[in-house]
Amino acid sequence: MRPEFFGIIRSPFLWGVIVLFAVLGQWASPYHLGIATQTMLYIALALAWAIVGGFAGQLSIAHNVFVALGALLASALFLRLGINMWVGLVLCAALSALIGVFFAYLDSKFSLGHLSFALVTLAFGEVGMLIVAGWDFVGGASGLSLPRDQGRLLNFEFGGARGYFWAALALATVYLLINYAILHSRLGFYLRTLRDNEAAAQAVGVYPFRNKAIAMAISAAMTSVAGTLYARFSNFVDPSFLASPTLSIEIILIATIGGLTTPLGPAVAAIVLVPFSELLRGWLGGQLPGLSHIIYGFLIVAVILASPRGLVPLLVKIFRQRGGKDVATISMQKGA
Amino acid sequence: MSPDINGRPSGGLIEPILRVHGATKRFGGLTAVDRVSFEVRPAEIVALIGPNGAGKTTLFSLISGFQPLDEGSVSFQAKDVTNFAPARMAHLGLARSFQIVQVFADLTVHEAVTAAALMRHSMGAALRKADETLALVGLSEKGANVTPELSLQDRKLLEVAKCLATEPKLILLDEVMAGLTMSEAEAVLKVVRRLRSEGMTFVLVEHVMPIVMSIADRIVVMNFGQKIADGSPAEIIEDRFVRDAYFGEDLHA
Ligand SMILES: Nc1ncnc2c1ncn2[C@@H]1O[C@H](COP(=O)(O)OP(=O)(O)OP(=O)(O)O)[C@@H](O)[C@H]1O
Ligand SMILES: [Mg+2]
Repeated sequence: MRPEFFGIIRSPFLWGVIVLFAVLGQWASPYHLGIATQTMLYIALALAWAIVGGFAGQLSIAHNVFVALGALLASALFLRLGINMWVGLVLCAALSALIGVFFAYLDSKFSLGHLSFALVTLAFGEVGMLIVAGWDFVGGASGLSLPRDQGRLLNFEFGGARGYFWAALALATVYLLINYAILHSRLGFYLRTLRDNEAAAQAVGVYPFRNKAIAMAISAAMTSVAGTLYARFSNFVDPSFLASPTLSIEIILIATIGGLTTPLGPAVAAIVLVPFSELLRGWLGGQLPGLSHIIYGFLIVAVILASPRGLVPLLVKIFRQRGGKDVATISMQKGA
Repeated sequence: MSPDINGRPSGGLIEPILRVHGATKRFGGLTAVDRVSFEVRPAEIVALIGPNGAGKTTLFSLISGFQPLDEGSVSFQAKDVTNFAPARMAHLGLARSFQIVQVFADLTVHEAVTAAALMRHSMGAALRKADETLALVGLSEKGANVTPELSLQDRKLLEVAKCLATEPKLILLDEVMAGLTMSEAEAVLKVVRRLRSEGMTFVLVEHVMPIVMSIADRIVVMNFGQKIADGSPAEIIEDRFVRDAYFGEDLHA
């Protein structure tokens, strides 16, 4: 582990923000807690995706499959077979990791370029959607409803809006630390060399398949776990949302807009975008359905034009000019 | 045979570290490397020369596993390594530089060399190894720069640093001194000589004849994919075949 990592986990700024969120959660209304939980889950999903999409530079559009697995299969196993959702969470994560390794295998076996990898994963994303819709065990097209939450932690019940907010905040925090840990470890170095130049990476002894497969497995498992929590949080598991590649695109947008060079990117972008789009929908949804999407879309375009490498690198640059240090360390931005 | 410039016997006593036998590579109708055989002994500096398109870079790619051989074999440290994956060759102790410099665009110079050093070290040791290696090639001040900010010369030095950081037994350097000033090239040569005295083996592709003549123990000459000569610098200068095919008339320029 690079020394920078220990600087990050001791960063007062980072923990200050996390504690601030936790404290704000004490007073928030259930409606706002719901939005906050959703935000944390998106942070988790975007961070999980960024391990593959950011560090390894592979544009996976299949991540909705892992969300769907974690959400639908874990719920179905519980509803149909009475399997505890904690166990389901682990099983689905393991299965997702295996499927992730399979994607990495396809990538290496057929030496897929960036575009073909994206297209192949998109195809799998679509196939995943079709399988879910046609498979009654996981609820088919109509989805699954989970029984009422009674707050029994052993049954994967977190008890109400506040409980899910805590759980999601904890998950997002853990994922943030995992991302930093990977970034500053051997695996992170290897993934970044593979992303930048696969031939040069191989020349210094980096095995492409092995490292990409590990990244895929970690990313897929993390995505699946967030999916399981999402399912329990929303009680009703909607396949048309959770199994659709549109969800992958949403995750990719958040991760990319935030900036992929630092784990702070996906986190900051989700904190800005998810509440914004939710509140926008709340304000405008009644009179002008669709307008919120248009405004959201314009905002995204504006960010990309202002800073093609993402929101966080832009913020860091501004912050740097004012002499800030801590943010620069945890965002890992070299140079301006 | 006579002893080489370091006084080591250069006869057939020592097991070669690299043995290329009948290496052949075709691109469509073009035979880029045509039944090339040669050997390199430990701690030897071999220069591989030949006109543009002779097949030197392709031969490096065949040896280092970046392209599969159509025919022939490669053995490294007495082990058959024909068509081994490039990363595996690196782990066995073979490093190569790229003629067309390959950069990690988003990594700093120090990170790039650290990534290479991680092949044999844990993170802490790799970071220190990167410091050392950058100092060795004279890139210490550029450690925090990202590669696209480097001049071509510095990129070439970075190529060398990445190779060295993997602590190889044998290094294939493809025109790393092209484009360097004489004094910069001299600095690289100094590093090469020093590492050779510590037992490292080099195969260099270079076009600058004074450099080749001053550093090589042995010269292998290629033309149109074939090996046309193999001998000491003195022998190569006298070789009529080489003069006609490669040097033209003006050898001592
Ligand atoms: N991937 C490839 N596909 C098709 N032809 C190739 C390929 N790589 C090399 N060649 C051809 O093979 C021949 C040998 O090329 P190579 O790059 O090995 O020569 P070289 O001796 O390194 O030349 P230079 O001194 O210009 O670097 C050239 O005619 C080149 O055009
Ligand atoms: Mg060449």
